[in-house]
Amino acid sequence: MLGRMEGKYDVVVVGGGPAGMGAALGARDSGAERVLILDREGEAGGILWQCIHSGFGLHYFREELTGPEYAQRFLEKVVDHDVDLATNSYVSGISVDSDGTKNVRVMNEKQGLVSINTKSVVLSMGCRERTRGSIRIPGTRPSGILTAGLAQKLVNLKGYLPGRRVAILGSGDIGLIMARRLILEGCEVVGVFEIMPYSNGLSRNVVQCLDDFGIPLHLSTTVAYIHGQDRVEKITVAPVGKDFKPDMSRAWEEQCDTLLLSIGLIPENELSLSLGILMDVVTGGPRVSSTLETSMPGVFASGNVLHVHDLVDFVTRESMLAGQFAGEWAQGVRRPEDNIRLLPGDNVRYCIPHTLSPEREHTVYMRCKAAMKPCRIRVGNLMEKKLRFVVPAEIIIFKIKPDLLDKFSGDSLRIDILPAKKGKRYGKG
Amino acid sequence: MVKAKEYTCIGCPIGCPLQLIHKGSKITEISGNECDRGAKYAKQEFTDPRREFSTTVEIIGARWKRLPVKVTGPVEKGRVLDAARKIHELQVKAPVKLGQVMLKDLLGEKGIDVVACRSMEWNPSYSLSSR
Repeated sequence: MLGRMEGKYDVVVVGGGPAGMGAALGARDSGAERVLILDREGEAGGILWQCIHSGFGLHYFREELTGPEYAQRFLEKVVDHDVDLATNSYVSGISVDSDGTKNVRVMNEKQGLVSINTKSVVLSMGCRERTRGSIRIPGTRPSGILTAGLAQKLVNLKGYLPGRRVAILGSGDIGLIMARRLILEGCEVVGVFEIMPYSNGLSRNVVQCLDDFGIPLHLSTTVAYIHGQDRVEKITVAPVGKDFKPDMSRAWEEQCDTLLLSIGLIPENELSLSLGILMDVVTGGPRVSSTLETSMPGVFASGNVLHVHDLVDFVTRESMLAGQFAGEWAQGVRRPEDNIRLLPGDNVRYCIPHTLSPEREHTVYMRCKAAMKPCRIRVGNLMEKKLRFVVPAEIIIFKIKPDLLDKFSGDSLRIDILPAKKGKRYGKG
Repeated sequence: MVKAKEYTCIGCPIGCPLQLIHKGSKITEISGNECDRGAKYAKQEFTDPRREFSTTVEIIGARWKRLPVKVTGPVEKGRVLDAARKIHELQVKAPVKLGQVMLKDLLGEKGIDVVACRSMEWNPSYSLSSR
């Protein structure tokens, strides 16, 4: 029920974005009776409301939806499934009783500071954007420097334009999509600058967001200096060498009043850290078992708080699973502990989950360090899978079947991404 | 004379590099596509390039000041900016329902409508003086 938050719960979900909504539905599907979503915003749905472009739902709904359409469909499901939902509610801490019961401390606009009793918790706080401070761009500190996602919120929800002449640093999908958005809203976009020699966004977004509107994409180039006292007046941009340092002898200036930063996302884990759970330094999220349980029993994590996903559909799938396991846990189900560790090997940045159990099928999410094509994934000496290509910007997903692990007797499985063997033909990725 | 054109498919996240060979306005060969959508896209791009897009319109009396909308069919690529300007002239009033048609036959094209991408309720705390 909307706005309700009372009594004891089976599962409390922290964050009402796509991950939180998926987790709540998963928990109800598992048979958990009382499920509560807490969201600090005035409505659940998270970042989807401001992502007005299409491209969502191709995997989950089998049709291409805009962000708001995806959010609304899910929110309606959540309400239909008798999930309690409290908005304008900020979780400030979680404590655990000696019998394992969790007390979630919530600040709520109507009820003040309250403590909510629950058997299990799903962490689904999502992520936030990296800012100028993360990459230390030299220069003055005028207004007009903001993250692409904040600009998206201002334009798509609040009806403000962040500026008139805009430069964009970083060619991730959010940066590319904002370039087109600002053009449609009547701004000028002087260019997109990317420090890497390739775009970090999908090539279809380079085509339909930049090429269609004649916006230049400068690869191997970065912003070397920001000028302006009260407001951004111009930026100095420079090509970078192999060491990623700007080559000032080839620098030039771009006149602009706004600089958007699309330079990456960081899982938002202050709450997880306050719980003292084990973290993965590479993903920036908690370490999780194959049931997506953190190192604290009964506390689960899913979505971008765990690792940054590229598609909301994958967030939904992962979160429904986390919710199911959290719901089972609340009903007293205790699965045998995982006994196989997954180790990232050659050209593997990380794999999620961190451990596996031999009793059921697993979906492993991983990212590579460098682009490679064609290539193969090797899982210990158990299996190999051919791929047409891997790139760091795209998550790699594969399944490990239980019969495969039956034959396995070790305690850790190393995953490598290796160049393809010569003379073999490769199918679709 | 036989000429070649290069495209990047926007049909899905793979983004196949496409090559289209043509003789005047006649297409003789399309290659590089992994699926049928690629061939269809190259042909469309060669004869009549079109784009789907979404934007926002002003909404009065709702939680937010903008309502997300999308076109229900692709608009001529060269007229996307005109289409966006036309849509931005709209001003709507809450409540609005998901899928509600905000504008019919955009730029006079039959069957291409502008629809709401979400529902927005009337916000009881809204007042004209707060704008």
